[in-house]
Amino acid sequence: MNRADEVYVVGCGMHPFGRDESVTGMDMAARAVREALADAGVAWDDIGYAAGGSDVSGKPDTLVGRLGLTGVPFVNVQNGCATGASTVLAVANALRAGEASLGLAVGFDKHERGAFHVSAARYGLPDWYAETGMMLTTQFFALKTQRYMHEHGIPERALAMVAARAFRNGSRHPLAWRRKELTEEEILLSAEVSPPLTQYMFCSPGQGAAALVLARGDRAFDLCERPVKLASLAFRTRRFGSFEVFSPWLPQGPHRSPSVDAAQAVFRGAGLRPADVQVAQLQDTDSGSELIHLAETGLCGHGEQEHLLAAGDTDPTGRIPVNTDGGCLAGGEPVGASGLRQFHEVVRQLQGRAPGVQVPGGPRVGFTHVYGAPGISACAVLTV
Amino acid sequence: MTTRLIDDGLFDGANPPRLVGAQCSGCGTVVFPRQDSCPKCSDGTMSAHPLPVSGRVWSWTVQAFPPKPPYRPPSGDYEPYHVGYVDLGEVLIEARLEVSRPDVRIGLPVRLTTVPAYQDEDGTDVLTFAFRSDAEGPR
Repeated sequence: MNRADEVYVVGCGMHPFGRDESVTGMDMAARAVREALADAGVAWDDIGYAAGGSDVSGKPDTLVGRLGLTGVPFVNVQNGCATGASTVLAVANALRAGEASLGLAVGFDKHERGAFHVSAARYGLPDWYAETGMMLTTQFFALKTQRYMHEHGIPERALAMVAARAFRNGSRHPLAWRRKELTEEEILLSAEVSPPLTQYMFCSPGQGAAALVLARGDRAFDLCERPVKLASLAFRTRRFGSFEVFSPWLPQGPHRSPSVDAAQAVFRGAGLRPADVQVAQLQDTDSGSELIHLAETGLCGHGEQEHLLAAGDTDPTGRIPVNTDGGCLAGGEPVGASGLRQFHEVVRQLQGRAPGVQVPGGPRVGFTHVYGAPGISACAVLTV
Repeated sequence: MTTRLIDDGLFDGANPPRLVGAQCSGCGTVVFPRQDSCPKCSDGTMSAHPLPVSGRVWSWTVQAFPPKPPYRPPSGDYEPYHVGYVDLGEVLIEARLEVSRPDVRIGLPVRLTTVPAYQDEDGTDVLTFAFRSDAEGPR
């Protein structure tokens, strides 16, 4: 492939995740964009194509009023947990199509406290489903985790190990929200939300923003000392027979997740295998999700997770470092920003300048994975 | 006290009521609630299909905290409730589980029942479907 057809990340920026009543979603987005532009050493009027995503905090394209009215095409994306990946996909495709040589992807959100608000109609479901108290994402994650642990003989301790590692990594990351380490005991004994999941096994809706500057290969190496190649990106919706959020019914299993499809497609696209991954981001809406996603993406076999966690293999110094920034568990989940946070962390890891704990040994292959309602997944492979 | 079912389209009108889904004439897929196209194939037509009344718990959890609206709570203080998927053979359906915490487990035999979901403004008890422990087991 001609290098001009390849797409690279040449700059990234992020507004710290957490809670800050003094800033709006747009304020955070503007800061993340400016940081990404400065990181790439380019100006806003160099950007030839932009895509932005937010679930609840406003229309991303209105950011042009703050960043500069340059006439740049700016696509808005609202794709749940895959919002960030969708913005990257939109920009990467525009660059490959020759529409621009430099593009920007931005995601931001500022959610209310507590569980996400849901609307049955928005998901094409009848009112009774929500009115009778069955339309909660937390319940779904608990139900899926409960069944998964039953089928694969995984003990609850594994759930606590996932969260403990997330908070350990978060405690050392300047952009994370939750920066206090918690013991497995504290996590297991925290308030029950929906068994087998407790309070500290769930992430919280929060706020934050992240942005990337992307460049075509013929520009990337002039702009950036260590551009990170977007080797592959795959986005999938569910197929028949998956077990998803907000499902009043399911067919008999085995249930195949869109995460499996997206991961297989992305590794095929990159010409790499899961075993090649040296730093990974997995959607960890809750501890159970991360456990399941470890296997669904092919990073380990079903049922191997407890051993992997206990051996420290998913720690920053392990064989497959996972969520080195603490993931959603430590960062919270501003839906529009969360996927780009993953890119931000993996890019910085591959460039050897992680904001928190740096994976040693110069990792060269990174992986990101998101999963969300109503059964969508996006994965990316990034390389240096 | 007057009662009504939460959505007549979910039930078959018999007493006690049974749940009604839909089945595809092309591939046999059973869905719940009813829908007029098949999510698996594009060949068949969907027709009403009464669901078995007994099955086994396939997965379960508890709703420990009160959900935000549009959840409509029953009168009185919030009481955590069980939710799960029930394996009815031809389909797994998500339902409230009227079971006790010590009893609930994957594989527990359960049978269809109704429970009060909330009250209408005029005091009518609105009933929704649920599954309770079934000592006799699935038939």
